[in-house]
Amino acid sequence: MNIPHDSATKHVSGQSVYIDDILINSQLLVGRVVYSKHAHAKITKLDLEAAKKFHGVHAVLSYKDIPGHNQMGPVVHDEVCLAVGIVECIGQAIVLIAAETEEIAIAAEKLITIEYEPLEAILDIRTAIEKNTLLGPVRTMQRGDADAALKKTKHIITGELETGAQEHWYLETQSCVCVPGEQQEIIAYSSTQHPSETQAIIAEVLGVGKNEIVVETRRMGGAFGGKETQGNWTAAWSALLCHATKRPVKIRLFRDDDQIMTGKRHPYLIRYEVGFDDAGKIDAMKVEQNADGGYATDLSLAILERAMLHADNSYYIPNILVTGRAYKTNHPSNTAYRGFGGPQGMAGMETIIDRIARTLKKDAADIRKLNFYGIDKDNITHYGQEVELNRLHVLYDKLINTSEYYARRKAVNEFNVKNEFYKKGLALTPVKFGISFTTSFLNQAGALVNIYKDGTILVNHGGTEMGQGLNTKILQIAAAELGVSNAKIKVNATNTSKVPNTSATAASAGTDLNGMAVKNAIDTLKERITGLFAKEFSKSSPENPSLQENIAIENDLIFDRKNPDRKIPFDEAMNVCNFNQVSLSATGFYKTPNIGWDKATGWGKPFNYFAFGMCVSEVMVDTLTGFYKNLRTDILHDVGESINHGIDKGQIEGAYIQGVGWCTTEEVKWNDKGHLLNHSPDTYKIPSVQDIPEDFRVEIMQGIPNPNAIRKSKAVGEPPFMHAFATWLAIKDAISAVGDHKHEPKFKLPATNEVILLSIEELKKRH
Amino acid sequence: MQQTISFVLDGKIQTLTFNETFGPTTTVLNFLRKSAEHKGVKEGCAEGDCGACTVVIGELNTDNKITYKAMDSCLVFLPMIHGKQLITVENLKQQKGVTEVLHPVQQEMVDCNGSQCGYCTPGIIMSMFSLYKNENNPAKESIDDALTGNLCRCTGYKPIIEATAKACVNNGEDHFVRNEKQIVELLSQIKDSTNSIGINTATQKYYQPKTKAEAFEMRNKMQDSVLVGGATDVALRVTKRHEVLKEIIDLSNIEELKKCTITDYVIKFGAGMSLEEVRKISRNELSALHETLSVFGSRQIRTLATFGGNLGSGSPIGDTLPILMAYDAEIKLQGVDGDRVVKMNNFILGYRQTDRKPNEIITSIIINKPSTNTIVKFYKVSKRKDLDISTVSAGFSVTLDKNKVSGITLAYGGMAATTKRATEAEVFLMANEWTRENIEQAMPMIEKAFTPISDARSGAEFRSVVAKNLLMKFWSETSNQK
Ligand SMILES: Cc1cc2nc3c(=O)[nH]c(=O)nc-3n(C[C@H](O)[C@H](O)[C@H](O)COP(=O)(O)OP(=O)(O)OC[C@H]3O[C@@H](n4cnc5c(N)ncnc54)[C@H](O)[C@@H]3O)c2cc1C
Ligand code: FES
Ligand code: FES
Repeated sequence: MNIPHDSATKHVSGQSVYIDDILINSQLLVGRVVYSKHAHAKITKLDLEAAKKFHGVHAVLSYKDIPGHNQMGPVVHDEVCLAVGIVECIGQAIVLIAAETEEIAIAAEKLITIEYEPLEAILDIRTAIEKNTLLGPVRTMQRGDADAALKKTKHIITGELETGAQEHWYLETQSCVCVPGEQQEIIAYSSTQHPSETQAIIAEVLGVGKNEIVVETRRMGGAFGGKETQGNWTAAWSALLCHATKRPVKIRLFRDDDQIMTGKRHPYLIRYEVGFDDAGKIDAMKVEQNADGGYATDLSLAILERAMLHADNSYYIPNILVTGRAYKTNHPSNTAYRGFGGPQGMAGMETIIDRIARTLKKDAADIRKLNFYGIDKDNITHYGQEVELNRLHVLYDKLINTSEYYARRKAVNEFNVKNEFYKKGLALTPVKFGISFTTSFLNQAGALVNIYKDGTILVNHGGTEMGQGLNTKILQIAAAELGVSNAKIKVNATNTSKVPNTSATAASAGTDLNGMAVKNAIDTLKERITGLFAKEFSKSSPENPSLQENIAIENDLIFDRKNPDRKIPFDEAMNVCNFNQVSLSATGFYKTPNIGWDKATGWGKPFNYFAFGMCVSEVMVDTLTGFYKNLRTDILHDVGESINHGIDKGQIEGAYIQGVGWCTTEEVKWNDKGHLLNHSPDTYKIPSVQDIPEDFRVEIMQGIPNPNAIRKSKAVGEPPFMHAFATWLAIKDAISAVGDHKHEPKFKLPATNEVILLSIEELKKRH
Repeated sequence: MQQTISFVLDGKIQTLTFNETFGPTTTVLNFLRKSAEHKGVKEGCAEGDCGACTVVIGELNTDNKITYKAMDSCLVFLPMIHGKQLITVENLKQQKGVTEVLHPVQQEMVDCNGSQCGYCTPGIIMSMFSLYKNENNPAKESIDDALTGNLCRCTGYKPIIEATAKACVNNGEDHFVRNEKQIVELLSQIKDSTNSIGINTATQKYYQPKTKAEAFEMRNKMQDSVLVGGATDVALRVTKRHEVLKEIIDLSNIEELKKCTITDYVIKFGAGMSLEEVRKISRNELSALHETLSVFGSRQIRTLATFGGNLGSGSPIGDTLPILMAYDAEIKLQGVDGDRVVKMNNFILGYRQTDRKPNEIITSIIINKPSTNTIVKFYKVSKRKDLDISTVSAGFSVTLDKNKVSGITLAYGGMAATTKRATEAEVFLMANEWTRENIEQAMPMIEKAFTPISDARSGAEFRSVVAKNLLMKFWSETSNQK
């Protein structure tokens, strides 16, 4: 099915309402966050008096004014809401202001005196490793004996890969409006991926019960992981100001403040040692992943875990040892970002394959194929999960043909012989991505489905809409499961008073989990409705009663399959239900079955299933400037049976381009004091319309249903992000051509034109 | 002078007086977002880089028709839309009874799955609408160019390009055409009653003269005032640094500054011409200037930004500076004391310092069309190819007699505190053969000529390497080497 996004007409006509668009009465105050200008310092003086007296200011709060717990850490409680005596990164919140206008708030901020005594700051991962500032225990996952196998292997490569941070750059910055109710009550309209946690954090900082707080999320203007935990911040801050002033308060971070204050994708330093034979088959691999977690734990440990679980990407490695460490530094706490560590883990693996190919002077696609997980054998991952329904081989066979890989390889080589100043590169990379929260208990979801007497239906579920089309898919699922037309159904804004205690909309699992919960609620309602109409239909002919099992709901009609003349339109029927005292409201619940694993031993079945995909990309590099052009990119991706082709395709294209941004132009740099240099789109460059492939072919693999998820579909949010590695490694292939593929080029992620050009210069010197 | 401004919004003339809520440097974006009916327009950056705030401005042209232009409303001060039609995303659909009829650009976006989170969408719709009104069956390059100023983090752009191509096929036919007469009448009404504007609030003085002469007088009286061309630089002082600009002279309504004269040998651009206009005019005879402006900001930016504004700040990374040096262009400066012409090569005196006297205004830019044996080229290296500020830029020209160099300019931006020429390399190459050997000898001289800085855009080493490589690139392109 291909219906448009359920908000599409609202989007295009400017009628979709985001936090900043909500109409609030003239009592609304503007909230402002005063944050640290030092990466690590003692606060020696904090004087708020002048600001408090400024005309139009309604509240100026420091940690002393927090009625509940001064804490926002989602997992580990190491993240204060407002700084107490010490600041640990630039951007850390110290003081909150509520004022009548933004101008007044800005003026009031200037009246606040904060004096600091700077302390030593750790601003890069290498220093953190040296000082051993671990955020959590060292983790390992292993199979076989990597050390022993490395001793016996024919070829050994060792190396290092640096992957950079990535700013989410959701178009809508972090925002929340809190509206006070009676006494302790607050309704928070929040741009959050995790309303239940936002509710919890607000309740905790205010020291009130969660039943006083309602969090509602209609839609986000993009999130990508950046609002999984850090959407809580603006919510907690505006709630504090709302509580203090008893007036509605809105905080919407200005773009630069958002970029300075919030965490990013974790930078990783990956060290590896790999052994392989003459054919390129890997015998053994040791990988060490080091993550820059920023100043607090946030989700760093779960992200590290996923990075480790994807250290193999799509390849069977008999002897493997993966070691993971997350370190504390004095940057804002890094956080979830599409792929959640998977991209970093897989970048390491793909670098290794690329190097094996160069060492053996073979085509990297062949090395990949050789090492893919097998169908019947060599199909157990390094954490003990079988790679069931392995689609790598079908995808490869199809894509290698449709992309004309080998013919283009030849053409690329010929071009490179003929041209000195321009070089082309080509690469194929696979994706295998595990679907489920690796913290198993989080794999649960709830729903509340209300049918009204006129036959219209309001579906509530715990997931949040951030552009990924979750609500559209939920609408389609609800319509299909209930047997009514799409037009009868409305998916409601996510609201913690409708569906409580939910998990974040993350891990690509929004549709899988919430779709199932909605189905569960609808099953209950159908049971009640068909029960009633079995009785109703039987009234007129007790001799030939209608049986409940034969009552069906299809195309807005309730009828008896055996006696098709016994029927009633759905709308009319709902009135009858109400008259007969049948409840038309039901909750639904779902938990993913058959998963579970032992985090301590790193062994078990963390994932419900895997999503697969493959990409071939061809680029041309200008060897004099380092600019590259994305000439053609072919993606073949597995989404099981697509619930909505247009939405799935949009996710694949969008994820790939976002991945290309991370791999190429999106550079995050800090100076030696810890100040973020790229704090606005002036210097932080996400892909523009001109950066997509000149020839961009995206196809959804057909005919491979997924038995393990709702309506045989598959999660699609994150996996296609990693297709960008084909482009990244095609760039490396083009650089490598400068040295006739004889030398290993210096390379990292992102491959900015600076990285590309300096790598070429270095190759020229060696060649 | 009149204290109020008037423009057409939602089909009606709106007249604004300035007060605490709206000052003369309030941006159109902030004005719209304060009204309940225009929340469709979004702020994504407040610095012209994302396009979420894109609106379309309708201007009455000389044929009494309306010209539609997409702009970033976050960079437009309210008085700059005086006498114009302000069109927002809310104005595109039509209400027919209970049903809403979408504009073709909106309908195609729905049909092509062009929106995901939807936050960028209103801005994109407005860029599409502007293209719809200006070009039928636009070429791929034109679609890309029209959308460059609109960042979308969700879609990967493909469906948006597709929707734009599919929509722009009706010769601009829509309800704006049908209502044009009425709007033209309203705009003429404003125009006829307009004087120069002078707005005085408790903290600000804002003047918008209609003639050069008035402007010179005002400038002479207020030599510390901020001159405004298109405000794409100046507005950031307000939106990002929260400065209160005390005295402003806005040159955007002076028709005399927007004139262009073309003779057989010379093109004279008015300093108030938008860079988009300059780009169009320079396509054939000043192709390097055209190239410069094709990777300059976005269409929304170039529509606002003026030629004079790019020179006015004297910024070392202003893209037209090196290319004007390569063309050996001249800058005309005028004021109450008269006028004078300065060579571009003498115009820049230091970091953001120019030869312009405090009471002068840049009024035109004069470029001689290059002779047939002169090749002029512009190169821009930035992190992202489009809508980015130069890390390094270069304006080169070489005049060749047979294969011997008889004239050469190698001007660089981003390599020093000012736009600067690589004099030693120029001297070396002059009167020499235009060969690879000589280029290779000159390259280290370029490296030596500069000590660039490391900053958010790149490290110093990259700048040095690129700067010398660009000479090789220039040579390879002038001698057809691959
Ligand atoms: C998103 C974005 C992208 C940009 N991209 C580029 C780019 O690619 N390349 C580039 O070079 N720049 C770029 N800029 C910078 C800016 O747009 C240009 O410098 C532009 O040419 C400025 O013109 P303006 O008319 O808007 O200037 P204004 O902002 O109006 O003025 C700029 C300066 O010039 C002075 N001035 C204006 N007119 C005159 C005059 N007639 N006489 C004397 N002084 C005058 C003003 O007082 C001010 O100091 C970009 C800016 C933004 C916001
Ligand atoms: S808000 Fe981003 S361009 Fe105006
Ligand atoms: S649809 Fe989300 S930014 Fe474009």
